[in-house]
Amino acid sequence: MDKSFRFKSFGQYGIFLAFALICLVLAFSTPRFFTVPNLMIIGTQVSINALLAFGVTFVIITGGIDLSLGSMVAVAGVTAAMFAHPDTYPLLVPLLAGLGAGLFFGAFNGFVITKSKVPPFIVTLGTMTIGRGLALILSKGRPVSNLSDSFNFIGGGNVFGIPFPIIILIIAFIICSIILNKTVLGRYMYAVGGNEPAARASGISVTNVKMWVYTLCGVLSAVGGILLTSRITTGQPNAGAGFELDAIAAAIIGGTSTSGGTGTMTGTLIGALLIGVISNSLDLLNVTSYYQQVVMGIIIIGAVVLDGMGKKDR
Amino acid sequence: MINSLRYIFLAATLSLAITGCNKSQKSEGSEGDSGKKLVVGATMLSMQNEFIVNVSDEMEAKAKALGVELITVDAERSALKQVEQVESFIAQGVDAIIMNPCEVEASSPAIKLAMDANIPIINVNSETSAKPTAFVGSDDTESARIAMKYLAEKLGGKGNVLIMHGFMGQAAQIKRDNGAKEILKANPGMKLLAEQTGEWDRAKAMSLMENWIQSYGSKINAVFAHNDEMGMGAVKALEAAGLKEKVIVISVDAIPDALQSVKRGALNATIFQNAQEQGSKAIEIAVKAAKKEKFEKQVLIPFQLVTKENVEQYLK
Repeated sequence: MDKSFRFKSFGQYGIFLAFALICLVLAFSTPRFFTVPNLMIIGTQVSINALLAFGVTFVIITGGIDLSLGSMVAVAGVTAAMFAHPDTYPLLVPLLAGLGAGLFFGAFNGFVITKSKVPPFIVTLGTMTIGRGLALILSKGRPVSNLSDSFNFIGGGNVFGIPFPIIILIIAFIICSIILNKTVLGRYMYAVGGNEPAARASGISVTNVKMWVYTLCGVLSAVGGILLTSRITTGQPNAGAGFELDAIAAAIIGGTSTSGGTGTMTGTLIGALLIGVISNSLDLLNVTSYYQQVVMGIIIIGAVVLDGMGKKDR
Repeated sequence: MINSLRYIFLAATLSLAITGCNKSQKSEGSEGDSGKKLVVGATMLSMQNEFIVNVSDEMEAKAKALGVELITVDAERSALKQVEQVESFIAQGVDAIIMNPCEVEASSPAIKLAMDANIPIINVNSETSAKPTAFVGSDDTESARIAMKYLAEKLGGKGNVLIMHGFMGQAAQIKRDNGAKEILKANPGMKLLAEQTGEWDRAKAMSLMENWIQSYGSKINAVFAHNDEMGMGAVKALEAAGLKEKVIVISVDAIPDALQSVKRGALNATIFQNAQEQGSKAIEIAVKAAKKEKFEKQVLIPFQLVTKENVEQYLK
């Protein structure tokens, strides 16, 4: 009893401890790390991955997976960019176009997954390729440049000295946490992921819940895509390739179990921050990014091992 | 019954999709006067790369002008796919092949296959370790030499330089690195502060530059990025930190975005690689080789330094 409690709590809080420990070590090894400008930069760099990771956390909690995140980033980014040329449409148009693209794409994922009974891994593997192709078709294979200043503010501007992406990140975090913890939908997500037949037997519409999570994931990817496009001031059809893996990694490092039913937004946020902090500090220390990848892999496996330890003893 | 209907439907949509795609890839050449039209197969590194698309567009235009049928396929950065595409060109019995190699080593088997089938194969833009019938492109080492010489001149031979690499291990990255290091060696006053890969990517380069600004700050005098995408990312980060005025940035490729940036005085210089010339020369030589006429075995198209002074002539 005593032992199981210890393991469980380590599984749950281990990530916080690990994160704090790594920050502490970095603060001592490079004086640049714990400065306000550097922390702002980490926040900005983390924001896109964190948004995607929030989306995929919803999906993984229900026992699913979404591999089409990176492609949705590209589709939404290119769509938004097409309407964001200076002196054409008001700012709201590119934003709604981008978000609409993500919403539609996410809903399409949900629709195919719930109607066809094909595993989400396969469906989203397909839509990943479809999305990449769509982004290329929409942009005719070329980056969409020359975007308005107001659009570029989203990814590059400051409000009271705080980079705008960080503000978006905080707002998204609050909304996602509320959805997951305070709404019926959130509770249903856990129920579906924990035990789908039982959830269905107790009258939960599994189809509805799944439609919701994939759509949410699409919308959050679109926010990430708009942010990315605005940050680099062009809509690139090949942007976001591989982002899905970083997002899934953040969720898993943060304690979301791939078998569904568990996971928190706070954990995912810490997971994303951890990835960002490591890549930032290795740049500060001028370590080649090869090592970065090795370190990241070890952390992912470590997180899952901790997660497994917590489960076994429960 | 329903199952077999489903399969028929699936087969029908698939074949429609495939034939539909095929059509768009064939370019319509005008009828040649010799009766039989020459067919050239081209496999390109990646049609997601703006520069490669420019080369490909020019090949298409030139093929049309010469009355040659050009079949262009996209290797999507996969050398394996590229070799298979060359195999199918050989099976189709094309008169010449143009390859824009994905990789130095892994694309080499395609050269041997074409040679064995007695079909001339021309490498465009980048090289393979196996020797093709002819090569049309530019020497990447030279682009880096031009860039570093520009920095050395602007800094008076003294200063701290950062280098952003392309994808490590690719021919362009290795050659640009060699060229850059050569000039660094010749200018002992120039110090390499740090180097790191930005993976040809604008967003990655921007993050990298932000992080470098944190660790080196006002010590940075100049940045050389292996391509314009990364150069643009570096410029954005420097502008956000209010350091752009103090840091010289140069990169390679002269993509439209970079030219605009040079024009407004943000990016200091870029290096123009002549996509048009590469594309049209490649077709020219492919046709000559197919007709067994005399042709040059190696065409090196020179790079050109683009600064604010001469940027207008490159802006279309």
